[in-house]
Amino acid sequence: MLTHDCPATLTDGEVLDFCKQGFMMFPGVVDADVNQRTLEYLQTRANPEPTEMVDLDWFREGVLLQPTVAGAVRSLLGARFALPNLMSSHRMETPAPAQGWHRDGGSRYTRELHYMQVFYLPQACTEAMGPTEVLPGSHFLFSTSPLMGHYGAIRGAVKTAAPAGSVFLTVYSIWHRRAASRVPSVRNLLKYNYWRTAAPVRDWRRDPHFDMATAPYHLDGPTFRPQFRDSRDAAEMFFWLCGYGDKFATYGGQGWPMPGQFAERPYGYPLAEESI
Amino acid sequence: MTLSAVRQKLTDCLAALERGHLDRRDLQAALDLLEQDPPRTQDILYLQCSGSALTSTVLGMSRVENGEMQAEPEDPADYPYATVLEAVRAGWRIVQFPNLALLMDEKRTYGLGCEFILER
Repeated sequence: MLTHDCPATLTDGEVLDFCKQGFMMFPGVVDADVNQRTLEYLQTRANPEPTEMVDLDWFREGVLLQPTVAGAVRSLLGARFALPNLMSSHRMETPAPAQGWHRDGGSRYTRELHYMQVFYLPQACTEAMGPTEVLPGSHFLFSTSPLMGHYGAIRGAVKTAAPAGSVFLTVYSIWHRRAASRVPSVRNLLKYNYWRTAAPVRDWRRDPHFDMATAPYHLDGPTFRPQFRDSRDAAEMFFWLCGYGDKFATYGGQGWPMPGQFAERPYGYPLAEESI
Repeated sequence: MTLSAVRQKLTDCLAALERGHLDRRDLQAALDLLEQDPPRTQDILYLQCSGSALTSTVLGMSRVENGEMQAEPEDPADYPYATVLEAVRAGWRIVQFPNLALLMDEKRTYGLGCEFILER
């Protein structure tokens, strides 16, 4: 196992946003020469699993350990995270119809984050080229892929059209699909996982103004859940990442973590002095 | 032939009658529509909604018409129906209501929630 450590670069708010959305995008962070080298490498190989790439120094340094990406992975998966040991190449010719919505095989319904699925675009992917589409917050929606086959247009879904060198991190179980494409092209996409090796702890960048009692845990847009369930889900995941998973509790009603303009702070915050 | 096509033709005939221009051939055309074979394929409409009420907002949709998957609207503003009730008014019949057994769990949300399946 090859592990890595580096400064954690995400703030409290950014970590919470990842919990709510289930994904995080970093547009154009990989250098142009690394993108070009990756494309040339993929063009000469039809292998859908070019795992040997993880051992190429230029690829490891330029993509897997790109500082913005590695800092975010370090924030979410903790110290000494394990580097990918499997590489999937989703190279395909367009135009093509939309793929069915799915969660990748091995998905588990959990608030814990032991690994992340990462997508790297070595070339620009426009909306017409059929970028990966993700449904924000869907890592909290239980289903199995065979039961998603009839889903089509979904309000709130996000198409990850992005410039060359973009990387996006996802909760492994997020619902996603390849969107319909309309133009002739060869679309390249690499997909791989980073793994946690350390227990979760709140060791990312602390924001002195971030208050876990009043933080905005709710998801904007359709949540596909009963009212305030989205806040509860995100708060539970955030607590787990902080290392407070065993302290998480909610009382329901108009208590923490539902959104609202409370006088002072909401009742029911599990880390309040009177609660501990 | 569809009922809506016959209705449209008869509406045109009424308008022509009021203008004094109704022709025998217009009425014959309406009758001819009735003689045409109805479509033999079943159209299917899936609507995922915010609640089990027919007036709840449509959050997701897919459609099969004339045996073909239909292109998905890019923008929710372009969904053909904003509610299930609108689809019913357009002639769709509900063949499956949301599975309430999947909506009773306080700690787990199943799929996109309230799904109606309609056909015509």
